[in-house]
Amino acid sequence: MTKIWDLYRNSHWAEPFLIGSICLFVGLSTVLYLLIIKSRSRKIKQEKLRNDYEQIIVELMYSVVFMDTPFSTLKEEQDYRMLLKNTYFREVLAESVINLHKNYDGVYALKLEHFYKESELINNSLKKLKNHKWEVKCKGITELAEMNITDAFDNIITISKSKNKTLKITAINASIKLVGVKGIIHLTEHPYPIDDWTQLNIINAFKKHDIGDTQGVEYLLESKNTTVVALGLKLIKELKLTQKLHHVEQLTEKAPNTLIQYEAQSVLQALNVNLINE
Amino acid sequence: MIFFNSETTWFLDVYILLILGYAILIMSSYLILAYLSTKALRSYLKKNSFVDYEVLLTSEFAPKLSLIAPAYNEGFTIEENVKSLLSLNYNNYEVIVVNDGSKDNSMEILISTYDLVLTEFKVDLKIETKKIRGIYTSKNTAFKKLIVVDKENGGKADALNVGLNIAHNPYVVCIDVDCILDKDALLKLAKPFLESHGKRIIATGGVVRIANQCVIRNGRLVEINIPDVLLPRIQVLEYLRAFLLGRMAWGRLDGLLLISGAFGAFDKEIALLSGGYSTKTVGEDMELVVRMRRYMVENKLPYSVSYIPDPLCWTEAPEDFKIFKKQRSRWMRGTIETLTLHKKMFLNPKYKLLGMLSIPYWTFFEFLAPAIEFTGLIITLLFIFFGFINWHFFLLLVLFVYTFAVFFSVIALFSEEFTYHKYPKQTDFFKLLLAAFIEPVYFHPLTVYAALIGYKEKVMGTKGWGEMTRKGFTKKE
Repeated sequence: MTKIWDLYRNSHWAEPFLIGSICLFVGLSTVLYLLIIKSRSRKIKQEKLRNDYEQIIVELMYSVVFMDTPFSTLKEEQDYRMLLKNTYFREVLAESVINLHKNYDGVYALKLEHFYKESELINNSLKKLKNHKWEVKCKGITELAEMNITDAFDNIITISKSKNKTLKITAINASIKLVGVKGIIHLTEHPYPIDDWTQLNIINAFKKHDIGDTQGVEYLLESKNTTVVALGLKLIKELKLTQKLHHVEQLTEKAPNTLIQYEAQSVLQALNVNLINE
Repeated sequence: MIFFNSETTWFLDVYILLILGYAILIMSSYLILAYLSTKALRSYLKKNSFVDYEVLLTSEFAPKLSLIAPAYNEGFTIEENVKSLLSLNYNNYEVIVVNDGSKDNSMEILISTYDLVLTEFKVDLKIETKKIRGIYTSKNTAFKKLIVVDKENGGKADALNVGLNIAHNPYVVCIDVDCILDKDALLKLAKPFLESHGKRIIATGGVVRIANQCVIRNGRLVEINIPDVLLPRIQVLEYLRAFLLGRMAWGRLDGLLLISGAFGAFDKEIALLSGGYSTKTVGEDMELVVRMRRYMVENKLPYSVSYIPDPLCWTEAPEDFKIFKKQRSRWMRGTIETLTLHKKMFLNPKYKLLGMLSIPYWTFFEFLAPAIEFTGLIITLLFIFFGFINWHFFLLLVLFVYTFAVFFSVIALFSEEFTYHKYPKQTDFFKLLLAAFIEPVYFHPLTVYAALIGYKEKVMGTKGWGEMTRKGFTKKE
């Protein structure tokens, strides 16, 4: 302690410390400033490039979707051949195809799916599933689900068991889109609580993707995990599954706790009202 | 004669050591908080890019919210402000406007614009408030979400308590009626209430930003600009520093003490059990959060306070020094009152992080900082007077503090650039950069002065808010 005090009283340390700190602050501020400037100019360049690419992609998509030009012909064209090797172009192309797919049904959607496979954009999405970053996995899952790649289901189900909540929700939503109720049946064995936010996302996935076949939803009511039972009840109520009335009735008789019993009774009531209205 | 030589007295050595130690401590704490904030912000933004808020918009299971908007002499803008509150992206909510005995024509405007009629309304007086003159609802079904309460003047806290008494829904969102809310503000604020399992989310706070000189149309922010006037411009930077580099970190540590009175959501049951807003302090927003947290700890209930870093609420900052001084001195009084009311928590391990870190941090770096700075200034003047000063060292010390302040502002700009990027115009960026250089020599002394006035007002026993006139948003079109 005395030594520190002596060192302190001896002014030699103070000046270098202050000068060093000032230089450090000035240096770091300059670096941050340069990074901001670099980021801004990169954003401007990228924006311009994206606009250029989007114009090319619009023509490309027009040929694929409306002119029925085979991809094999398109990729022979010198301009496209070069561009299709460009990573950023492929990224913008994938985004465009997926966004377009969201707006189309039927034959146009099938053509886009076909293009997605032929252009090997699918491989980029599949590669994303193996990435160690969860956000990249999420992106890959979203892309594959949008393009109805049912072959990826097993992979996605495995990922849905992840502890990362965002990844879990994305994977479960994708599974629901791809295979309907089968995509959530594994939740009956789920060991951890499923929070309300995840539950609402699952319900929304059913509504959004208009899942008609709800065979198996009732299995959720048999889970030992009360949050899964609550999810099952909410699904039945929100989707107005009057055909599950009997299962809800059974649950009210042997509910694992009073909260579930109360929820089951409320769902039962709502279903009965639906039945009367039907 | 000088610092650090053998002739310097023991007192001077200790003084310099303490001041330097304090400066290093405060700077380090800022940097640690900035680091934690940046990490938390990156993680939040990554997660948020996969969030579909439509889930809440279409579900009957979305949390039911009651918006409470106290209004006092807001006649000039109330029509438009209420309209914007009624058109937010959310389904399960009601809007409670509490007219706190306005002296202007606010009530008449509300009645005529929204076809209001006096309604029989049974109020459960869970919290004692000033007398309610009448409760109004609309004849027009388009405004069925709206409830207007006309009451005797009792201050903002009292008006909010009336809202708490009247609210039908389990969550209340307390806002300043003149704030501009992002269209999705309620969706983002409600989500955390659904996310926690095992821990009860008792409050959610959002980020407030400065809207001076921004373009507002139909109660919505349509163009973001940086103010030309220096005082609000520096406040833009100040808010970026506070919200992006400070509160985000406290949110991550779950040690957040303050949810801005301009925009925050609360679990109504816990707010009522804790006694509602205190009318004894002008810092009712901070005081309620501390009291709710205290209630949860003392009752051994697991809980958390959530924080949303998205800019959801835009407010008008004072443009002239007189109003600015009033606002900041009030903030200081609020801080003193809250810390005094809850002094039991100070360094009390029973309150865990709250008692051992959050409260001491606020005490030393928010409450005491202006006093310490002022004392430093007086002592420096005495040193100059008595010829003790080593000018070379003194200038280095000033440069040390100045360069740190600029550096910290640049970190805030960097963080903003790589996250929300709300100021894409080059001119706006350079305006903010210039503000970073001016802030330590112009704005900071003003905040210290205003805080000292706050101390004085507290000692003199000043109560209440004082008249806070607002200029209104400049519609630069």
